[in-house]
Amino acid sequence: MKNINWGKYSKPIILVVFIILLSILRPKAFLSLNNFSNVLWSVSVIGIMVSGTIFVFLIGGIDLSIATLCAFSAVVVVEVTHYLGDTPKAVAIGVAAALAVGLLAGLLHGIIITTFHIPAFLVTFATQSIFLGLAMVFTNNKIVSCTVPAFTAIGSRKILGFPMPVYFMIVIAVISWFVLRKTVFGRYVYAVGGNETAAAISGINTRRSAIMCYMISGLTTALGGIVLASMTQQASSSTGAGYTNDVITAGVIGGVSLLGGEGTVTGAIFGAVLMGLLNNGLNLLSVPSTHAGLVKGLVIIVAVAFDAMQHADQSRKKVKKVKKAQA
Amino acid sequence: MAGSTILEAKNIYKSFSGVPVLQDVHFEVKAGEVHALMGENGAGKSTLIKIITGVYSKDEGQIEWEGKPVEIRNYQDCQKLGVACIYQELSVIPPLTVAQNVFLGREPRIGPFINYAKMNKMTQELIDRYQFPLKPTTVVDNLGIGQRQLIEILKGLSQNSKLLIMDEPTASLSGKEAEMLFKIIQKLREQGVSIIYISHRLEEVYMLSDRLTILRDGKNAAVLEKEEIIPAKVIETMIGKVVDESAGSRKMLHSDDSAPVALDVKGLTDATDRFRNISFQVHKGEILGFGGLIGAGRTEVVRAIYGIDKAAAGEVTLDGKKLSPSPKASIRAGIGFVPEDRRNQGFIPLLSTTKNVALTNYDIVKKNGLAISDGDELDMSKRAIQAIDIRPSDPDKQVGVMSGGNQQKVVLGKWLMRDLKLLIVDEPTAGIDVGAKDEIYSILEKLASEGVAVIVVTSDLQELLRVSHRILVMRKGDIVREFKNEEVTQSKVLAAGQGVTEEEAK
Repeated sequence: MKNINWGKYSKPIILVVFIILLSILRPKAFLSLNNFSNVLWSVSVIGIMVSGTIFVFLIGGIDLSIATLCAFSAVVVVEVTHYLGDTPKAVAIGVAAALAVGLLAGLLHGIIITTFHIPAFLVTFATQSIFLGLAMVFTNNKIVSCTVPAFTAIGSRKILGFPMPVYFMIVIAVISWFVLRKTVFGRYVYAVGGNETAAAISGINTRRSAIMCYMISGLTTALGGIVLASMTQQASSSTGAGYTNDVITAGVIGGVSLLGGEGTVTGAIFGAVLMGLLNNGLNLLSVPSTHAGLVKGLVIIVAVAFDAMQHADQSRKKVKKVKKAQA
Repeated sequence: MAGSTILEAKNIYKSFSGVPVLQDVHFEVKAGEVHALMGENGAGKSTLIKIITGVYSKDEGQIEWEGKPVEIRNYQDCQKLGVACIYQELSVIPPLTVAQNVFLGREPRIGPFINYAKMNKMTQELIDRYQFPLKPTTVVDNLGIGQRQLIEILKGLSQNSKLLIMDEPTASLSGKEAEMLFKIIQKLREQGVSIIYISHRLEEVYMLSDRLTILRDGKNAAVLEKEEIIPAKVIETMIGKVVDESAGSRKMLHSDDSAPVALDVKGLTDATDRFRNISFQVHKGEILGFGGLIGAGRTEVVRAIYGIDKAAAGEVTLDGKKLSPSPKASIRAGIGFVPEDRRNQGFIPLLSTTKNVALTNYDIVKKNGLAISDGDELDMSKRAIQAIDIRPSDPDKQVGVMSGGNQQKVVLGKWLMRDLKLLIVDEPTAGIDVGAKDEIYSILEKLASEGVAVIVVTSDLQELLRVSHRILVMRKGDIVREFKNEEVTQSKVLAAGQGVTEEEAK
């Protein structure tokens, strides 16, 4: 027993236990393709977002403006589509405009943070308010709706039983995995997050890496906003409210260190799916929403405690090793 | 002027994980004397001070305060006796005034309120008594490091301290600030305050101290009275005569000027005046050693050459081509750099050996389109592990959990995977064991024999003599001495670094 690293397997264990539990308690409702597809659909926006925001987490940064940037880009896609006459072409331009907004927001974050050396949480805390304000201004603080088929298809058209956003999530996650796992830039991201000074001495342009990470995060946040607006066929300043928490939670449950340098996309997506299953399970088990928050909080603590155990395990091993070396 | 014994440490023993650091050390401070404490790095000075101030507990021995045995379990105990430690990294709080800092946590009160008038008056009295160039109401934010240090001293005096411990107090002071401190020290001595003065700077010790205790390898090497404090004698005692006659302490230097010049540095000058007008060359296949005291500007010079810090003026050329000052450009041009502070600057602790070794080498790792070839990356890592005998030899091992010696091998190993023209190593063997040291020396020698120019910055004199073909000594930001094709001894290097001429030293 001593040699098993429980921390390492905590994620799959939690997942399996959860699935078995639900399968026993609600076999019919839970074990259906339709329900499974629903769970994935509900987590797809968080999955898309966390696949990009993980870059920011990995360099030790944070983005508190996720929810309001999501709202602002949702507003942009809907408003631009309207303005250009609700044609399929207008939808395409609207989507491009919203993505550009996300990229620009990330660029802005990256430049401010690296130029003035202001902590990321302060900068994004401020921009959070700016994006919210912009979303309100652009909508006159009303809900704007968009039912153009070309637009609503993004969020709800089904292919092989699964809605489009699920495929978006998979594609974005795979790209993110590829960049982090296979490219030089990905290696640099982990290096910058693990030890920025050492990375700089190794010839890495740490500033450029950081700016790129914030841009990637902005891009996926905007994409999340577009998908969310399409799913709900509307946009307002409160689109995506609460998503900042959800994205950070998904990352943390998935083992992404907010101190930087540690974490994987697979972990983060797992975190998102676990949160979705949790919501779904609580729903199927008819747990009143008043109690749902409580259960979610407990699950987060358990998941994070497993991670902490894994780390404690590693430092214990290190102490042992050092003692051995000294002896 | 020096009176009765105020502090006496007798037969002090201390060891860390079985390694003796202090053995049978005696140390005595008299009332109203400036007592200097000297010794090379690792001689046990700071351990002794930490025992006196209660940071460490002693294994054996006794400490007496004014003739009575005392137990000092923590810093509070030592403060109660009347000992104050003046830290170089100051603990003053910038937004507060001088008086607020001096009486922090001990403010005179009227009911629940601070009595500012009284506090300022008390501070002014202290200032007057010792003639400090300070005002009680000045906000610390506006003061220089020298004056902040004086606040620390005032703080100690306000608690009626009879003994002040100053550890390298002039390390971060300008010349003028140091002068001010020396005057204050004289005043304190006149008022009967004792001072333990720890410094690497011989000239200060000659000027200030009434007595000098020298530690060597954790043992008392000598206690010298004022008239016995002669440069040659001090240096000799610090290094140890016995060592001085062994092979490690003198060397006949040979360097080959006919080899083509690899690195040419002309007039390199720092923006913040940490070094100025530095010019020198390194030939292919030559190991150039940089000696001098810590803080002499050696690290700053090599950082500027490699492009981590941008120099204000000067030119660096490698093989005749001008270098643009950035680590990336330097790496591409064929320079490798092993930084001074391994843990904070050298490697990425969470990443594996493979990823640390590959970090500077992705320009030569094979790629399929955008994707790094994991196989080629692993292959490189295995070659590095073999070339420099990194242990554990598992390429996936996190570098953060390895021993210091092996971490350093990872840091060095990545440069062996490239075609190097120049390798710069700063304190390459600090804190690593003897076996790994020898391996690192042989790698440096092997690189030199293959025509790579090598710059070694080291404060370890034995190491400097062992590896260098030629030696430059820096002092306070200037190159003050070159040793070339001549016999060099540890004392000569030390004397040059401390600004003592060899004639004076004799």
